[in-house]
Amino acid sequence: MTKPVEPFFVGWGKVPKALRHFLASFAAVLIVGFVVISYATSSTQTDTGSGAFMGQVQATGILQNNPYPILHVIESPQFAPGDTILLSGNGKRGAFEQAEGLDGQVVEAAGIRLDRGSLKGMQLRNGRRGLKAAEDQAQSLEVDVEQLGRWSVQGEICDGKCLNGAMRPGTGLAHRACASLCLLGGVAPVFVSAGEIDGSEFLLMSGPEGRAITDAVLDYTAIFVEVEGDVERHGDMLVFKIAPETIKVIK
Amino acid sequence: MSLLMLGMIYLYIGAAIAVVFLLFGLGRIDENAQDAWIFRPLLIPGVLLIWPLVLWRWWVLHKGEEKLDRHRMPRIRQERVQLTFIIVIPVILVTALVVRQDPTALEPPVLIEAPQ
Repeated sequence: MTKPVEPFFVGWGKVPKALRHFLASFAAVLIVGFVVISYATSSTQTDTGSGAFMGQVQATGILQNNPYPILHVIESPQFAPGDTILLSGNGKRGAFEQAEGLDGQVVEAAGIRLDRGSLKGMQLRNGRRGLKAAEDQAQSLEVDVEQLGRWSVQGEICDGKCLNGAMRPGTGLAHRACASLCLLGGVAPVFVSAGEIDGSEFLLMSGPEGRAITDAVLDYTAIFVEVEGDVERHGDMLVFKIAPETIKVIK
Repeated sequence: MSLLMLGMIYLYIGAAIAVVFLLFGLGRIDENAQDAWIFRPLLIPGVLLIWPLVLWRWWVLHKGEEKLDRHRMPRIRQERVQLTFIIVIPVILVTALVVRQDPTALEPPVLIEAPQ
């Protein structure tokens, strides 16, 4: 007498009678389960915001290398005179290398626009095609530096390029490794405040002396922290001169 | 930063092992790889990451202690592993949701000292 054969499902074969009900219910649970899990996952994600690449741009302006390279626009087809633009390089790199030796000069910048709310940025083209001293150095622009006092701010330390739209999301724990790599590559750290200071929630970070602060903030990227420091307005960009010893992680 | 340093040391050791293994070791433990060189650079990233395993396998094969039954699927543990996953994965997810920071609890900026 032969042993009864247990029904066995093979994808290309005919479905055994005994397995039909099981397969139908399993498929239904799977489909409904995917829908529920997809909805639950997507509905609990933070909005990635409006940051994005916005096409080719060029601008002439005054370059400021401290704490990180920024451009105060004199004239540009895409930016308004007086706009302050955070510069970055290609990939996970800042603009220090390209900006070297050009601090305070009138420069011509070209690249791709990055935009998120009040934060304007540009990913420079490589080499001197992206940033070079302008032939006409006679142009000038008065860049106002306004003291806004000492603040205690809660929020998140991000890299200024991804935050600006190079990555979506450019904030949050999921972006922590990328933010750390970008900062290591020289991209400017930007503090995303829980509320606005003088009309902006994005603050370019620097040390107490107004110099780059990357090493001191690397361990605190993409998590919520509280930090104290002096806030200054350089053109239309806020610079947050933090006291690194005041950084504390919010529990 | 010390973690970064440890990572760098690990990768440097991996690089040294990759050079020796791919130039001299591979052909000795795998006769199919003898006199075949073009593909070897492709193995460098893998060796960098799992060089302790490479060293161990190199040693086992060199000594001729290879046991073929190691390829047999460890089915005996499969049910226990499945059960562990069924418990552990939801626990990890729930713990992550409980301990994660709450963006809605953040306070707005506070002016400590007005500008001079």
